[in-house]
Amino acid sequence: MQIRWTFVIFIAVFAPGLTASMNRRTVAATTPQAPPLPARTAATAENAKDAAPISIPETTLAINSDKPMSQRVVHYQIDAKYDTGKHIVDAIEVLTYHNLTGQALDHFPFHLYQNAFQPKSTWVREAKIQGSRDTDYEKWEEKQYGSEEIKRIEVVGQGDLTAQLQYIAPDDGNKDDKTVIDLHLIRPIAPGAYVQFKIAFRTKFPETQARSGWRRDFVLGGQWFPKVGVWWHGAWNCHQYHATTEFFADFGVYDVKLTLPQNEIVGASGVLVEAKNNPDNTQTVTYHGDDIHDFAWTASPRYKIRESQYQAQMGPIQLRFLMQPAHWSQAERHERITRETLDRFEKWYGPYPYKTLTVVDPEPDSAAGGMEYPTFITGDTSWFMPEGLHLPEVVVEHEFGHQYWYGMVATNEFEDAWMDEGINSYTEVKVLDSILGKNTSMLNIAGITLGEREEQRLSYIGVADRDAMAQKAYEYYSFGSYGGITYGKTASVLLTLEGVIGEDTMAKAMHTYFMKYCFTHPTKEDFLKTIEEVSGKDLRWYFNQAVYGSPVMDYEVLDINSFPVNWYEEKKDKKAAKKAAEGDTVYQSYVSLHRKNDFVMPVEVEIKFDNGETVREHWDGKNRWTRFSYQKKAKVVSAQLDPDHTVQIDRNNFNNSRLAEPNAKPVHKVANFWLFITQCLSQALGWWAV
Amino acid sequence: MIENKGLLGSGLGKVLHNQRYIVWFYVLNILLGLGGTVGFVNQAGPILDHSLQSGRLLRGFSLGVLIEMFSRPEFGPSMASRAPAIFFALLFLVATALFLPGVLQGYASTYRLPSEDFFRVCGRNLWRFIRLMIVAGIVMGVIAGILFGVQGALVKKAEESTNELLSVYVRLAGLTVIFLVMTVLRIWFDLAEVDIVLSDQRAVRKSIGTSLRHTFRSLGRLLATYLLATMVAAIVLLGGLCTWMKFVAPENVVGAFLVSQLTLLFLLIPRFWQRGITVSYWQQQMMVPVVAVWPIERQPVTMPEVSDGAPVVPGPPLAIPES
Repeated sequence: MQIRWTFVIFIAVFAPGLTASMNRRTVAATTPQAPPLPARTAATAENAKDAAPISIPETTLAINSDKPMSQRVVHYQIDAKYDTGKHIVDAIEVLTYHNLTGQALDHFPFHLYQNAFQPKSTWVREAKIQGSRDTDYEKWEEKQYGSEEIKRIEVVGQGDLTAQLQYIAPDDGNKDDKTVIDLHLIRPIAPGAYVQFKIAFRTKFPETQARSGWRRDFVLGGQWFPKVGVWWHGAWNCHQYHATTEFFADFGVYDVKLTLPQNEIVGASGVLVEAKNNPDNTQTVTYHGDDIHDFAWTASPRYKIRESQYQAQMGPIQLRFLMQPAHWSQAERHERITRETLDRFEKWYGPYPYKTLTVVDPEPDSAAGGMEYPTFITGDTSWFMPEGLHLPEVVVEHEFGHQYWYGMVATNEFEDAWMDEGINSYTEVKVLDSILGKNTSMLNIAGITLGEREEQRLSYIGVADRDAMAQKAYEYYSFGSYGGITYGKTASVLLTLEGVIGEDTMAKAMHTYFMKYCFTHPTKEDFLKTIEEVSGKDLRWYFNQAVYGSPVMDYEVLDINSFPVNWYEEKKDKKAAKKAAEGDTVYQSYVSLHRKNDFVMPVEVEIKFDNGETVREHWDGKNRWTRFSYQKKAKVVSAQLDPDHTVQIDRNNFNNSRLAEPNAKPVHKVANFWLFITQCLSQALGWWAV
Repeated sequence: MIENKGLLGSGLGKVLHNQRYIVWFYVLNILLGLGGTVGFVNQAGPILDHSLQSGRLLRGFSLGVLIEMFSRPEFGPSMASRAPAIFFALLFLVATALFLPGVLQGYASTYRLPSEDFFRVCGRNLWRFIRLMIVAGIVMGVIAGILFGVQGALVKKAEESTNELLSVYVRLAGLTVIFLVMTVLRIWFDLAEVDIVLSDQRAVRKSIGTSLRHTFRSLGRLLATYLLATMVAAIVLLGGLCTWMKFVAPENVVGAFLVSQLTLLFLLIPRFWQRGITVSYWQQQMMVPVVAVWPIERQPVTMPEVSDGAPVVPGPPLAIPES
């Protein structure tokens, strides 16, 4: 009963205000009025006849374009009030949906993502099996759970359909999973028609999990409202929330009004169109987003704000950095990497059309770091962050990259995680190589170095034979395998592809792919065919192994050997030894190469002789092994596979080369470190124990 | 301060006059260290020796190459290289306990302690030192456990604060307190070690008790000297590492070896200095003074003259009782 009254008050007070405000502050001529949600008893089809015709607005307030950039399917108008003490959002959501599916729709599935953070959910079940980076579930308490409940849903013209709601579990049939709810309509929505849903919902945020929720007095509002699925390839695509999956949604317009205490500093997707203080010590901030497919927000009373402007190709971008007080000295680092990344992305892939970008430095120890939402990303740093440790740069670059690979090129993250995380990891390597150096983009302290491309490859080689790239994100063996394959393998596969089609061609293909598929939902074949088209090559032999399969590459230099051609004579004749010293001896040399695993790929090998001569050979790699032989007045010194280091997917880099004579210096160098550590340990024991 | 200077100076003097002990311990340290490194070399050698990829470790220090080496199946379990390192470190600890009594006796001697005396002292005090180490281990372990527990609880509480740095400060403060307490305990047991050796004290508990009283009686003085020696050790270590990183070319393996070993050699000095300080303190404050007793010599008795000028008549000689 109490909820009902709250519901009615919300309708009466906020819904008209929200729409009126939007019409006043945005272009608004085309912004539809969201009619007040009537009381349950008053909802009739007759009322719908009197309502204004509904549509999706063609606003451009939040983009540097005078016309919409995406095919807008949805318009979310949300009026939400956040209780900072209880971490609860009570809200009214008005969702306008444009049926562009070409067929009548009689049911609509909705994501209720926050229900993932319940003990019996599929998300938690999987996280317990596969490992979670966020929570120790043995210590997980009820106050840390999350939930999302639709209190009431009305379809304009069809009345209150709350009773029609039904939880479904399309992926695993888990009856306790409440992350997807399906609504059956009384009458189907005709092709081309609009339908408007009016939803009263309550979301209780969890203590941060999966980059959403609260921690201390901080909150990150991600995946916090009922969100309709995507009609894709002739069916609804609305997966349950899994421990390893992210999201998928249609483009549209967002008008979100948030009411929360006045001391809160707020950041959100889109542009701020209104901020006003209320008499009850609350404030109401209103944001508007165009051509985006999600909306996230954050609030904390302690953010320190740094703002600046970036002149992008399509117009100015307002950069806003919400920093933790203890990280304020790193604000400049955050801004620098954001600007440099923007510069590379605009030059290499395409323009960034939005007017804002908010970079959030989330609460420490909050599991909210490193997340992407449209025009809104979270970084990840700590109070102690040496300049040579590039963690903040890597995270900010990566999450910004998602503005392109997820934000604009909106692939299905449930089914093709490699297309957002992996392609983004590839461009991350390219961008960070160019900004921070190829071998130093991750770490460069006291001569100790680590490059981002190495890091990606290392994350892959540990799980190389576990899963394929092209499989659903929730079907990976483990969280580690998901990470190693979707991020690490994809980046390594695309870097290796540069060696096959050329770096410039690959760059052109990436640019073409972005320009062709931005503001759409491309498939894996769209991406792969673009590369084939741009390169003019049939690359199926590569994609079938690298993308669709899980074969592992491991080539090795099996053996190198040189001996005098006339060895039998020299054995008898001691003068021959002298001849050899004069360099007249002709040697028979062999270099044997071996394909140890099942990934077949042509490779180059470079053979060096002791007279300084170098020979390059090509091997198609089809047989298990091959042998090159030479007769020269020189012995083989070394052989190296992939001398240009273009292959990133070889599981073992050590056996890719072989020296005729061992070089003990590297092992001595490393052993010296080991010795030093052992002696230090001994002395420390001697210091304290006796 | 003057007293401290006296302790520091005399302690350092003992170390410098007995440099051979530091050399011996250094030789022991490096030999056992080499023993602890053999396993690692045997594991890494076959991977690195014939590969050009290992050049990236030589020309710089590629963490990626190192991680890949550790992850190779042929490298074997990491325990195979860690276990010998830990074993030989423990062996060094045992060797220190074994030879330390000789060092302390040498520091207390005004002459060069002959080898046979050195080893005799070592043997005589071995069991006493083992008992003392057990007591010290229990006391230090319990106190450290309690302190770390308290520190952990305070840090956890501080982490609830919205001030991110509060938990950092609490952690640092806690570590400082733990370090100081552990140093005090170390002083206590160092004094006990000295007392056991130099008093030839069989009853370890008596030395522990005496040392405890002296530790708290001269706490400020002893703690200051110990902290100074610790700071010197920290400077030596940091200086050595900086020299290694800044001035030794990445591919200069011999240079790196020399710098690292010199650092380790000098790193031994501050601890021996602390031991010299405890020996000096023991000699100044804890040594029971030996009272020399000499036989009384007979002296001729001179009779004073009478003031009126009359001759003094000598009396009968004093009877001396026969002993």
